[in-house]
Amino acid sequence: MQQHPLIAILTRLGTFVLVMIALSIMIFVLARVVPGDPARMALGPAATTEQVEALRQQMGLDQPLAIQYVDYIGKALRGDLGMSLVSQRPVSADLGQTVPATLELVLVSVIFMFAVAIPLGVIMAHYRDRAVDHVGRLLSLTGVTIPSFLFAITLQLIAARFLSGWPIIGRLDHSLGWTGGPTGLLILDGLLMGRPDVSLNAFQHLLLPAFALSMAGIGQITRITRSAMIENQRKDHVLTLKSFGVPERVIIFKYLLKLSSIAPLTIMGLEFASLIGNAFVIEMVFAWGGFASYGLQSILQKDLNAVTAVVLVAGLFFIVANLIVDVLITMIDPRLRRKEAR
Amino acid sequence: MADIKMLDASDRGLSAGYMMWYRFSRNPAAVIGALIVFSVIFLAVFAPFLTPYPKHVGAVVDFRARHLPPDAAHWFGTDKAGRDIFTRTIFGLRISLLLVIGVLGISVPIGAVLGLMAGYFGGWTEKFISGLTNVMLAMPPLVMALAVSNLLEPTLMNAMIAITLLWWTWHARLIYAVSKQIASEDYIEAARLAGAGPMHILFREILPNCVPVISVKTTLDAAFVILFGATLSFLGFGVKPPIPDLGSMVADGRQFMPDFWWEVLCPGAAVLYTTLGFNLLGDGLRDMFDVEN
Repeated sequence: MQQHPLIAILTRLGTFVLVMIALSIMIFVLARVVPGDPARMALGPAATTEQVEALRQQMGLDQPLAIQYVDYIGKALRGDLGMSLVSQRPVSADLGQTVPATLELVLVSVIFMFAVAIPLGVIMAHYRDRAVDHVGRLLSLTGVTIPSFLFAITLQLIAARFLSGWPIIGRLDHSLGWTGGPTGLLILDGLLMGRPDVSLNAFQHLLLPAFALSMAGIGQITRITRSAMIENQRKDHVLTLKSFGVPERVIIFKYLLKLSSIAPLTIMGLEFASLIGNAFVIEMVFAWGGFASYGLQSILQKDLNAVTAVVLVAGLFFIVANLIVDVLITMIDPRLRRKEAR
Repeated sequence: MADIKMLDASDRGLSAGYMMWYRFSRNPAAVIGALIVFSVIFLAVFAPFLTPYPKHVGAVVDFRARHLPPDAAHWFGTDKAGRDIFTRTIFGLRISLLLVIGVLGISVPIGAVLGLMAGYFGGWTEKFISGLTNVMLAMPPLVMALAVSNLLEPTLMNAMIAITLLWWTWHARLIYAVSKQIASEDYIEAARLAGAGPMHILFREILPNCVPVISVKTTLDAAFVILFGATLSFLGFGVKPPIPDLGSMVADGRQFMPDFWWEVLCPGAAVLYTTLGFNLLGDGLRDMFDVEN
């Protein structure tokens, strides 16, 4: 337990590498063993046995599975994820085009989550069992229970009915003549390339899907923040501060909030898995054309290289998010920082 | 707080069971949740007798009745084939509940046993099981479900098999944490000194104390499984048509979106109603058993 925080983070990093390896082996085996012969599928039923055999050798499918796996990982680390059978382009190129769209959506959703949930949780804890608290609990319960597709479609309906002209599908209006920027994150690219109109338009497109995607997380994090605030109010050092006459405002914002953000952050890391899952739904409803849409498409069309890559990238998303959470918690938690000084 | 209440109760000769029931029945949210869950189960089980058009579950086509808005004859309106959406929604609840029974019926016992073993035995058993759990937890369940079910065949059944393969990890982790704590209690040591074997200690001493935690978690999970199943079938991994399930009904209705809104909102609302019920019930049970988180 008495670990240096840096060592703790390195240990976590090691775990994450193991997780990635396990995930890659699992999806690799599933993709190679279960569905039959990829060479036959690539060439179609008209190809001769010799042609299929030649392609099998070319693709390395005649090698033992372990060698195929090592080969695949070696190439993957160099950015070669194979060809997509459907788009007939390198999978890495497809991902390069679609991942930024999802990344932008997810980042803004996460910002929404914290921007709404943490203040709401703090207010609810402060006015415990009063009207605000009850409304907030109802809201967070709705967030946790509502199917994301229902919420997304309802948002679209409301926007179409009451906000005529508000964009409800896609990432950007075609009329802007945007050809793409360096990062693929439209809001950022618009600012970088001196096109604030693009940034604004992208943000308008982003608002509804990001809100829809963040709803489940808002529900969870509000709950957790509220209960953490209430629990920590009873801690000795908080009572000490109170008895010293430190103003309530200072106690809440300087001491309690910091302490109480550890639990929501941890949950956020775990919630990331369902966030990625919900992204599939949100991207479908809002025709977002991101990585999740690409994943869904490749799964439905049995595009094996693409499916493998999508699962790996989704795992990577989750792992990186959790690593960031770990670092943040180490920075916030005074108990961990004190060990550093030792 | 709770301890004080319990003392009061025993002073007056009230049993712990009665006190739990008292706490549950005085919690309106919990009672509403229980009523919702009960109503869903009741409707699903007796669907053929309770619905106005039980034949509409099959491949019935009535073009004169297409896309009718909700009215007295069709409470939720009708769909693109003129079938009564209320009837199909009620039957759709059956699929949702079957998923809950299938997924949780398998994954909860597996997770519980692994969690108990990791918590009690410690050492390599603990390292192995918690390592495995951590690895499995890092897999986004929906992505895994999509991938696995695709590689086999994109059906709800296969997707849910994939979910079951991942779901036990949450229970394993939770029970691990609880049983590790219980394993250090004196009465476990006492049982061991009295010569009790590991089976007795695991299932007779530790497991009963995990029941509150397991039942709260399982109730809340039922809501998640229903959400998950509906999401998967919404994405196109549904049961074979014409069998109604809620997610694919929403997906079907989405094509006719702004005009025939009831085709989306009614089955969608049924999902919300069900998940809301299980959530309220789960929270109520949590308060009743007085377990943390």
